[in-house]
Amino acid sequence: EDADSQRTAFLLRKQWSLYSVTPLYRFSEAHLRDYSRLLSAFIAAEKKKGLAVEIGGELDIKVAVTSLPDLKGSDRDQAAILVQLSSRSSASPKNSEEKLVWSGWFCCVAGDELSENLPEAFTCLPLFLVNGAESYTAIVGTWFQKTFDCCFRRLSLSPFNLSWMAAMWTGCKVEKPASATELVFSVPRLPHPLHISYAINLEDAQALWDTVQKTPGEITQEEVDVFMDCLYSHFYRHFKIHLSATKLVKVSTAVASAHCDGIIKFRQSQYLTGVLMLLTELAICQIQ
Amino acid sequence: MDETVAEYIRRTVLKIPRDEIKTMLQKWGFLSETQLQTINFHQMKDNISQDVVQCCEENSASIKQAAVLDIIYNHSYPNKRMWSVYQMNKTEEETDFFDLTDFRKKFKRHLRSALKNVTINFREYENNAIWIRIAWGTPYTKPNQYKTSYVVYHSQTPHAFISPSVLKSNLPLLCQALVVASNYQDIHEMELRSHSLNSLEDMVFKRYSQNFETYCPRPLQESTVAQESAAGLRIVQENINEKERIQRVNRDTFGDGPQPKLEFAEYKLETMFTSDPKLEVLDKKEPFRCMVKFHSPHLLESLKSLAPAGMADAPLSPLLTCIPHKARNYFKIREKKGFFPGSFVSP
Repeated sequence: EDADSQRTAFLLRKQWSLYSVTPLYRFSEAHLRDYSRLLSAFIAAEKKKGLAVEIGGELDIKVAVTSLPDLKGSDRDQAAILVQLSSRSSASPKNSEEKLVWSGWFCCVAGDELSENLPEAFTCLPLFLVNGAESYTAIVGTWFQKTFDCCFRRLSLSPFNLSWMAAMWTGCKVEKPASATELVFSVPRLPHPLHISYAINLEDAQALWDTVQKTPGEITQEEVDVFMDCLYSHFYRHFKIHLSATKLVKVSTAVASAHCDGIIKFRQSQYLTGVLMLLTELAICQIQ
Repeated sequence: MDETVAEYIRRTVLKIPRDEIKTMLQKWGFLSETQLQTINFHQMKDNISQDVVQCCEENSASIKQAAVLDIIYNHSYPNKRMWSVYQMNKTEEETDFFDLTDFRKKFKRHLRSALKNVTINFREYENNAIWIRIAWGTPYTKPNQYKTSYVVYHSQTPHAFISPSVLKSNLPLLCQALVVASNYQDIHEMELRSHSLNSLEDMVFKRYSQNFETYCPRPLQESTVAQESAAGLRIVQENINEKERIQRVNRDTFGDGPQPKLEFAEYKLETMFTSDPKLEVLDKKEPFRCMVKFHSPHLLESLKSLAPAGMADAPLSPLLTCIPHKARNYFKIREKKGFFPGSFVSP
């Protein structure tokens, strides 16, 4: 357990942008070193072409493609694959330190729905998470698309998805003191745009959720709706504003935060797999 | 001229929008009209500021004059700073005659007795508003001219607007000096904060148009009628009636004129959770603790537009509409005991 959390600790408290990825053709975990080399050469070539001008001409980019064997749901899932770009000053390569400038990882947690019907030659890693400059993301994405004939798409999170996350994550038991469950709403199309942050003390939110959620180990759409309606009614009682008419854009809890633009932040390692399972499901939905 | 003074003047001029520099220097009055004519105000700001510093050099500017320029800049662009509102009080009813010289002397004396290294400057504006600029140092270092506090004290009222520096530890001393100098007994912070100094003043001095003005009928928007199709005229009429009603109610609750400009309002809710008993959900007898924050470039106008946009009821909750009259944007809301649920008390 501890060794696990150490390995995945670097994933916590960072902002990750989400993408869905179609299955990779002829990808093999045995060739990760080769992929590192090839991607490295590709990046160098792109920089020569002047396509990566903003990144900084004097930096050598080193690529490491590794596997994260513990990041998966069941043994039927492909283990997560991590791609890391580090920079080193090309002026004095021996003296300067290596600095991590970009990370991206592919993963699949409980992706049976997609993987079980796939032909042998395909690898199912439908979720891609990125932290780092957009310019690197574009280059790495292009290489993967060319090499494995796959397709990346930004994964945005609808208010419907975010409501599920709010309810689900509120129900997770965490150590005190724990952050409140916060919902952020946006009303952009007014003459003066309005943002509303509605944060509920976690204990109180959990007390509400505990009375809403009737079936143990299972969450239904109806339960999520009741939970959210209760919160909306409480708000309406005070302010006479219909939150349901506004756009839910962000949910922040002790377990994780999610933004409608497809950005996630993991806060608790014990729930990492659980959150990834939900995100994998959303990615698969987008692919199909 | 001191190098630090020169640099400070240079940086202050750089903050000013290019088209305003000449006017501001004229208001400052430290450089003569002749000197101003030697400066080309159409060149790049970097060069303008160098030229200004050159002229100041000729006149041997000291930090005192540089500070005045900073006050003039902040008076023109007060919205760059965050302002809090303070109210002073005393037990005696009589208000003594306000003597500016006496005030300045007492204020300086109080600050300097605690802290030798401070720069203090005053400037009086219309409406009896006294602007005070304080640059703070420590017992061992000269005042940092870039970390200033500003006070706008309306001498005929018990109110002061303070924009503290990042060095928050000096705030109590500043408040004390204000109380002593103005012959009050104590001072407390009101729950009201904003970047818009003018709006704070409007709210505190009730200068915005309040909601009990004489009713002034507005002409119905002709375009709404023209756009609706001929069929469903009854629905159209109902819509117009409802739109009219919302506009009328908005006028009643918000008043006719432009709203004071606030950027946020914060509510700490400690009320009970209630729901339809059929739902069989939470029935605790303890408060359902929430923190609600509203943010907008122009909050009150934004809230006013919610009902017409169909997102809120008209009238909007008094928790929101009371913001201008109560002159506060921080609230703690608890349940009123023994009353119809839906009535709240805010201490």
